[in-house]
Amino acid sequence: MTRDEAQERFVALLQERFGVSEIPEGNYPLVDVAHHFELARALRDEFGYRIYSFVVASHYPAQLDAKNDNAVIDTEHYEVATGLRCIGAPAHLASWRVRVELDQSVPTLFPLFAGADWQEREQYDLVGVRFADHPDLRRLMMPEDWEGHPLRKDYAIETACPPWR
Amino acid sequence: MHSVTGVDPHLDIESYDPSADLMVLNLGPQHPSTHGVFRVKLYLDGEIIIKAVPYAGYLHRGVEKLCEELTFVQVIPIVDKNDYVSPMMNEQAIAMACEAMLGIEVPPRALYLRTIFAELQRLASHLLWLGTFGMDLGGALGGGASLFMYCFRERETVLGLFEEVTGCRFHYNTHAVGGNRHDITPRFTQDTKATLEVIEKRIDEYVEIFSSNGIYRDRTWGIGVLDGELASSLGITGPLARASGVDHDLRRDAPYHIYGELEVNVFTESAGDCFARTLVRLNEMRESIRIVREIIDSVPEGPILGMKPGKSPGHIKIDAGQGYSCLESPRGELGTYVIGGGNSRGASAYRLKIRSPSLHAASCIPYLFPGHTVSDAVAILGTLDPIMGEVDR
Repeated sequence: MTRDEAQERFVALLQERFGVSEIPEGNYPLVDVAHHFELARALRDEFGYRIYSFVVASHYPAQLDAKNDNAVIDTEHYEVATGLRCIGAPAHLASWRVRVELDQSVPTLFPLFAGADWQEREQYDLVGVRFADHPDLRRLMMPEDWEGHPLRKDYAIETACPPWR
Repeated sequence: MHSVTGVDPHLDIESYDPSADLMVLNLGPQHPSTHGVFRVKLYLDGEIIIKAVPYAGYLHRGVEKLCEELTFVQVIPIVDKNDYVSPMMNEQAIAMACEAMLGIEVPPRALYLRTIFAELQRLASHLLWLGTFGMDLGGALGGGASLFMYCFRERETVLGLFEEVTGCRFHYNTHAVGGNRHDITPRFTQDTKATLEVIEKRIDEYVEIFSSNGIYRDRTWGIGVLDGELASSLGITGPLARASGVDHDLRRDAPYHIYGELEVNVFTESAGDCFARTLVRLNEMRESIRIVREIIDSVPEGPILGMKPGKSPGHIKIDAGQGYSCLESPRGELGTYVIGGGNSRGASAYRLKIRSPSLHAASCIPYLFPGHTVSDAVAILGTLDPIMGEVDR
């Protein structure tokens, strides 16, 4: 199987079973957070994606329309991208994103992938997104008594001397 | 408890046998065998470890936050310091991610140079691992420090080759988005061949040191057995996973640079213990020598930069989209996840995540340490080869 065929199969899986209507150009597909765990389980058990490759969380502040009485264009939210890889050729990477609001959490993948333990801890530590049912959601990089999450876009922007530049 | 192993990394120490004589021992953060600054809190029942809790972050420098502020051109010398044992790989990972997202084609000569640099760097990195591992095992290898000295002698010659091309022994800043910045000379080609000749002979001598040493075998056979299934589940790749029978190598399975045109032999072992990890790395060193020899004479002529060199540090702009690209570093899958559209209309990343193989490797410590003694823990930590600059970033 070539990598293109594996990608087609992944796209077909997303469209048929996980309600993804469009695959964006130059980006990874956005999956509803309710399907997050089931998608990972299907990829692992049915299609042999055994390598837990990465999880990347990112923070997006609220977007306001300054010209239109600060109407909310987009609310403050997190995006979490996950990547799984199959062993051996073609080493296809199945990657998708989920979007959660500030008060929501993403289901942990720890029951499926042991590596989610540390990777999700790191993303929680640096970005602040919470992972539901994680067995040990402590900080990984920053000291335990650290306040705030450094990779958030609103981190330390109001200090007299910003940390960089 | 995870299904594929009998070890519970989150063991509740309160529920452990109350009559046992427990002791807590901190391995690190300042300890030579931790290869950097890293702490493992060990719960001991007598001499046996029953639980290991690693604490990372002593070397956390906020590289990912820094990458959101600096432009893509400025990021390349910064990421050099992540995996400070193989800086070439870090540069290539960032450059490849930008090239993939912008659709920049890299000229063939630059691809050949990147492959040669990558394989020489793999050789240097494994040499450093071998030397420090000999030190970890202490007296097992003829006084410990002798193997360290031998390996550093060889590694120095490889760094000398890099110095000839880039002017730096370390932290080269030789890769740019779209190609390379420094070209090789005929003298480099000659020197490389001569150096490889010497190192190849020396590797045979090292194998002799290992195979004829009973103490070495006692300390590595059956120690720290990593299950292949658990390795994949933890996201462990590279020599560590291959020593556990996971037949996976991005150079062969998802070729980049010019690996698609080459025959890359992937070495696996089934035992998954410290001895198997040594064998896999020694074989990889020989394979790197073979690959460099195969291509060093056929480097095509031509430009080494595939785009017009920019005048400002902000000339590489990724205004939207997300992408991930990765390569096989000496420690496994080293990837970069880039979210475009950051400062100055995309001259820097909105979010840049470095997927470091060392962090995944370090995450298997809670599974491997329990059941072993403290001296075995040092041997296991040595063969995991985690580079703390890359674990913490």
